[in-house]
Amino acid sequence: MGTKDINISIKELETELGQIRDLKFSVGRLVQESWTEPQGPTPFPSITALRGWDMTLLKRYRPFYMPFCDLCCLCTFGKCDLTGDKKGACGITMSGQQSRIVLLAACIGAATHTSHARELVTHLISEFGEDEPLDPGGLSIEVEAPNIRLVCGVKPETLGDLEQVLDYAEEQINALLASTHTGQEGNPLDLESKVLHAGMIDHVSMEVADIAQISAYRLPKADPEAALVDIGFGAVDTEKPVILVIGHNVPPAVEIMDFMQDNDLAGDIEVTGICCTAIDMSRYSPRAKIIGPISWQIRYIRSGIPDIIVVDEQCIRTDVLDEARLQKIPVIATSEKNCLGLPDRTRDPADAIVADFINGSADGAFILDPEKVGEIAVRTAMQIAPHRKRQKVPRSLEEGIEEAKKCTQCRLCRRACPNDLHIPDAIKAFARGDPGMLSDIYDSCVGCIRCEQACQQDIKIHSLITLAAEGKLRDESFKLRAGRGAIQDIEIRQVGGPIVLGEIPGIVAFVGCANYPGGGQELAEMAIEFANRRYIVCTSGCAAMTIGMYRNEDGKSPYEIYPGNFEAGGIVNVGSCVSNAHISGAAIKIASVFARRNLRGNYQEIADYVHNRVGAVGVAWGAMSQKAASIASGFWRLGIPVIVGPHGTKYRRMLLGRSDHEEDWYVYDARTGEEVYVGPVPEHLFVAAETKEEAMVMIAKLCMRPNDTSRGRALKLTHYIDLHRRLIGAMPGDIHRFVRTGADIPITMKEEILRILDEKGWKETVIPDPTLIARQKTEQQP
Amino acid sequence: MFEGIPADVGLVHEGERIRRNDMQVELGGPQVNEKFELVRLKPPEDIEQGAIHIIGPDLADLEEGKSYPFGILVEIAGSELEENLEGVIERRIHEYCNYIEGLMHLNQRYDIWIRISKKSFKKGFTSLRYIGQVMQELFKNELPIIETIQITFFTDPERVGEQYKEALSIYEARDARARGLTDEDVEVFYGCALCQSFAPTHVCVVTPQRYANCGAISWFDGRAAARIDPKGPIFPIEKGECVDSLLGEYTGVNESAKERSMGEVDRVYLYSGFGYPHTSCGCFEGIAFYIPEVEGYGIVHRGFRDLAVNGLPFSTMADSTAGGRQIDGFHGISIEYMRSQKFMQGDGGYEAVVWIPKEIKDRLADYIPAPIYEAIATEDDATTIDDLKAFLLAHNHPVVQRWAEEEEVKEPSRMPVLTAGEIPITTGGFRILLKNARVYADKVIIQPVQPKKPGRGESS
Repeated sequence: MGTKDINISIKELETELGQIRDLKFSVGRLVQESWTEPQGPTPFPSITALRGWDMTLLKRYRPFYMPFCDLCCLCTFGKCDLTGDKKGACGITMSGQQSRIVLLAACIGAATHTSHARELVTHLISEFGEDEPLDPGGLSIEVEAPNIRLVCGVKPETLGDLEQVLDYAEEQINALLASTHTGQEGNPLDLESKVLHAGMIDHVSMEVADIAQISAYRLPKADPEAALVDIGFGAVDTEKPVILVIGHNVPPAVEIMDFMQDNDLAGDIEVTGICCTAIDMSRYSPRAKIIGPISWQIRYIRSGIPDIIVVDEQCIRTDVLDEARLQKIPVIATSEKNCLGLPDRTRDPADAIVADFINGSADGAFILDPEKVGEIAVRTAMQIAPHRKRQKVPRSLEEGIEEAKKCTQCRLCRRACPNDLHIPDAIKAFARGDPGMLSDIYDSCVGCIRCEQACQQDIKIHSLITLAAEGKLRDESFKLRAGRGAIQDIEIRQVGGPIVLGEIPGIVAFVGCANYPGGGQELAEMAIEFANRRYIVCTSGCAAMTIGMYRNEDGKSPYEIYPGNFEAGGIVNVGSCVSNAHISGAAIKIASVFARRNLRGNYQEIADYVHNRVGAVGVAWGAMSQKAASIASGFWRLGIPVIVGPHGTKYRRMLLGRSDHEEDWYVYDARTGEEVYVGPVPEHLFVAAETKEEAMVMIAKLCMRPNDTSRGRALKLTHYIDLHRRLIGAMPGDIHRFVRTGADIPITMKEEILRILDEKGWKETVIPDPTLIARQKTEQQP
Repeated sequence: MFEGIPADVGLVHEGERIRRNDMQVELGGPQVNEKFELVRLKPPEDIEQGAIHIIGPDLADLEEGKSYPFGILVEIAGSELEENLEGVIERRIHEYCNYIEGLMHLNQRYDIWIRISKKSFKKGFTSLRYIGQVMQELFKNELPIIETIQITFFTDPERVGEQYKEALSIYEARDARARGLTDEDVEVFYGCALCQSFAPTHVCVVTPQRYANCGAISWFDGRAAARIDPKGPIFPIEKGECVDSLLGEYTGVNESAKERSMGEVDRVYLYSGFGYPHTSCGCFEGIAFYIPEVEGYGIVHRGFRDLAVNGLPFSTMADSTAGGRQIDGFHGISIEYMRSQKFMQGDGGYEAVVWIPKEIKDRLADYIPAPIYEAIATEDDATTIDDLKAFLLAHNHPVVQRWAEEEEVKEPSRMPVLTAGEIPITTGGFRILLKNARVYADKVIIQPVQPKKPGRGESS
C-alpha cells in the first residue's frame, strides 16, 4: 500500500528562481495504491464519528442495567453508594457508572487484542520484513480485510501496512480509556456509544493479528478442509517429553515447533497447548495437540504431565507459577504483559538457563526472545522429562478418600462455586468410597478452584474431582478441525441463493470463553442442533474447542461429522479469539458481495445493511473475559445480536428491544421513502439466556431480519416455533409480530397460525428495502 | 392441519436422512427399475375431489427392509392451471413428502427414492393414505389454484410398470415442449426480485430462453410462482414490443426494470454483455467476461479455483460483476442460460466465446455448436492471453477474423494529475514558487499520516 518516511534532500538546485541549497523534503507516507473504490464518509473514524449510528441502535435497544456492584470506588471521594437515585461525589449515576465499567471492560478487551496484534506484527516484520504480502485466502478471497477496509478506509497489502492501522487503534483506545476518568463522560448513552467504538476497534485489531499470522506463518488460508487435529487430555503420549504452552500469542509456540523441526525432534516431543495459542499452533502444525480451553489449566498442570510450561499472554491463570512449582515444572514467561515476577533472562545464554532448570536452581525465567524460548523449552523438556517421569507419583483413590474425610460439610465450597455444584454432597459420597457424584461434577466444573479457596480444611477439591473422574480425563481424545481462517468470498456467493430461497435459516456463531453454566456439553449440543437444522454454524476460540470435545454414539466429534464449509449444516471453526474478525468480516463482505456496496470508510451504511439483512446471531455461552465483552461490542455496532449464558449478566447490562413498543420497529423503505413497521427483528442486541433451551429458542428468533424473503421468513419461523414448542412446551406468544404477509406463514402450520393472527388482530404489511438511515432512503429514490 | 397423521409434519424435517438399518421399507430407489412420480392436469369431471387410491399392497403389507417398485400420480384441475405448470407442481411432491417426520424423499420423476423409518411405522404410519392426506392438505393450502385433486399410489408391480412407461413418454414430451419454447412464443416474461433482499437494485428477467442468474428459476417456475402468489417476489412482465430481437430489448422489460430498480436501470439487453446488459446480484453461477485482447468472451464459473485466462480469479471478477449494476463486459449468467439458443446472441453467441473451464465445456458439449466446440479453449489449452491467442489462431476461431487489422498500440498520452498556477514551497528560509506546475504520476493518493482528528470524518 505504501512506503513510510521518505526524505529527499537536494544539495544544490539551479532553477529560474535562482540557486537553492540544502533543500529537504520529508514525506510521511507515500501511497501508491491500486484501490479505486471511492473513500466513504468516515475513514479512521474518531470516537464520536459514528455516534449518530450508535444512538439509532441504542434508541431501539436500550441499555437495561443490572448493577453487579452498587458502589463506585474509583476515586478517593468514594466509595459512593449509587443505589436508588443517588449520585456519586462526582455526580455520576448508577446507569452512568455501569456503562462506564462496561466501557472499561471493552477498552481492556480491545487493548488486549490491539497489543497482541502489535507484538505479533512487530515480531513478524522483524522476521519476514515489512513487505511480506498479506494473503489470507488466495484466489478465493477478494476482500482480504473487510474490517480494516470498512473502518479505516485503507486496503492493506503487506505486513508493514498494518502498522498504520494499529497506530489508529491505539490512539482510539487511548481516547476511549481517557473518557472513563472521573469527571468526564457520564451520560450512559454516550458511554455506550464509546463501548461500541471500542468493539469496532477490537475487530479491526483482531483482523490485523489474524491476517498477519495467517500470511506470515502460512496458517490455513480460508480452507474448509483444514486438518483434523487432536484435542483432549487423552490424546497426549505421556511417555514422551511434554511441553505445555498457555495463552494467545503464538510466536513462542511456533519457535518451539520450528526448533524441533530443525533438529529432527518433531516426533519425539509432545507439544500441547491450552487456550488460543493451542488453537493457533495447531493451525501452524497439525502435530500440535490441544488439551482444552482455559478450564483445563489447573487439572493439566496438576496431572504433572507437562515437563515445561511456556506462557505468553491473556487468560493465563495468575497462579500458574505456584501450581507449577508444586509439580516442579519450570515456567517460561514470554510476554511483557505477563512477567510472573520472574527474572529477565532474555540475554542469558540458553545453555545456562537450561542448566538452571535441570538442576532445579531456577523454577522459571522471563525471556523476551521467542527463538530462544523455542530452544530452551525443547532442550529442557528433553532433558528433564526422564527424571520427572520417574518421580511422578500418581495419587491413589485411597489417598483422595482420606482427604475427603477431612470435610466438615460447612458448604462454603458450594457457595463459592459459580455454578452452584453439589460439591459437599459429592465429597461426602466420595469419603464413603463412592466417586460417582464427584465424577459427575467434573462434567460441569469450569476449573476456577474457587471451592479450594473457600475450603477451611484446605482440601484440594479440584484435584479430588479430577481424581474421581480420572477415567473420563484419560478418555478425552477428540478431533478438532484446525482453524481455517477467513470465509471465502465464493462461499458467501454460494449461500446467497439458498438464503433467499428459504433453504438456510440463519448463521449462528458460537464463540467466547468457557465459563459455562452447566459444562461444555450443552454448547456442543446447541451447535449440533443448529447444524442439523441446516443453519451455518461458525465457531472460534474456547467455544470451538468445547464443540470438539464431544462424541456421538459412533465416537465421532462434530468436526468429523459436519463439513467445515460455510454452508448449510457446516460447522466452521475460524480459529482463535482473533479469528472472530472473520465472522464479523463475513457479515461485512455480504454487503460487498451481493449489493456491491462500497466498504471503504463506509461504516454506518454497511452496519445498517448488516443489521437489516444478515440473519446472524452470536452466542457466547461461557463469556467470561473483557475480550469477550469487546468482541460482542464489535458485533453490536454492526447490529448483530449476541446471546450470553447466565454468567453473562455479570457484564452489568443488556441491550434489550421492546417488542411491545410498536413505534420502535419502523424502518424506512428505501424504495418508497415510507416508514414501514417490520416487527421486532432482531428483537434484542444483547440478551442473556438462563438455560440452553431458552438460548436455542432465542437463537432461532434473533435470526429474523426485515429483508427476509417470505420463503426465508417461513423457514425461520418454522424453526422458531418448532424449538419453542419442543423446548418450552407451547406455541410462542409473539408469532403475529413476525408474520408480514400470508406467504410468511410456514405452510405446514397455516391453519393454526391464521387462527392466532386472527385472534391478535394482525394486519398485513409489506416487505421493505429496509434501512434505519434517513439518508439511504433519499439517496436510493429516483 | 395434520391432526390425524401419526407423524409430525413440518419444514424442520426437510433434509432428514434415513439409513438402511432404520428403514421400514424403501419405495423406488436404486434397487428397483420402475418408479415415478407424475402430476397431470385433467378436466375437473375426471377427478374425484380428495380421493386417495392405493393400487397394490399398502405399507403395512410390505415386507420390512425390502425395496418396491412405486409410483405416485397426482391428478389436478383448476381454471388457472395449464399443462405448462405440471412440472413445477410435480416438484412440490418432493418438498411435501420431506416435511413428514420419518419419511425421506430423494430425486424426482423416474428416479424417486423414498424410505419410511421404522420409528414412524411403529408410531402408526402404516399407510400411504397418510402421505396422500398430507400432500392434499399442503397442495390445497399452498397452491389454491389447484381446485380439485386426487392422488393414486401404485405398489402393484404390474400397474407401476404400465404407468411408468406412460410417465416416461410424458416427461419426454414435456421436455421437448420446454426446449422448443422460445421467447417469441410467449407474451409474458417473469421478473424475480428475491435477491433484492440483499441486492436492492437487481431484478432478474426470466424468459423461456434465459434462466435466472442463480440457475434455480426457469420461466415455468416463474409462471407458477406468479400465479400462486400474485403479491410475491416473482411477478409477470408483459414483454411489450420487441425493440431489437438480436440484443433482446423489449419495451415491457425496460419499463419494468426502470420501475423495479428505482430508475437505476432503464434499458436491458437480455442477450448481450454490452450496452445495457442484464444486471447481476451476487449469486450468479458464472461470469461471461470480455477479453479485449482477443475480442471474445471467457466464461468462468463459481467452482473454478484457478485464475481464469485473463489472469483474474472468479472472486475478483465477481466483485466487478455483482451488485445490480450494468457493467460492460462483466456479465453474470446461469449455466442453464448457456444451453439456450439465445445465449449471448447479441454478441455473437458461442462464436464470441473463446475460453470455458473444461468442467463446464464438457457439461455443455451437446449445446455448443459443433463447428465452434473445438475452437474454444479450456484451462488445459490456455492459461494466459498469449496462449489463448495462439490457440484461437491455430483453431481458426471466428474471433480471429475480427483481429484482421492489428491496431497500433499508442503510448497513452500522460495527463497531469495536478496542475496549478502557483505552488509555494517554504523550506528553511526559502520560499519556492512553482509556476504553472504540472505533476505527472502513475497514481497519486494523498493521505494524512496521522488518523483524522476527533470530529473529522463525521457522517452527516
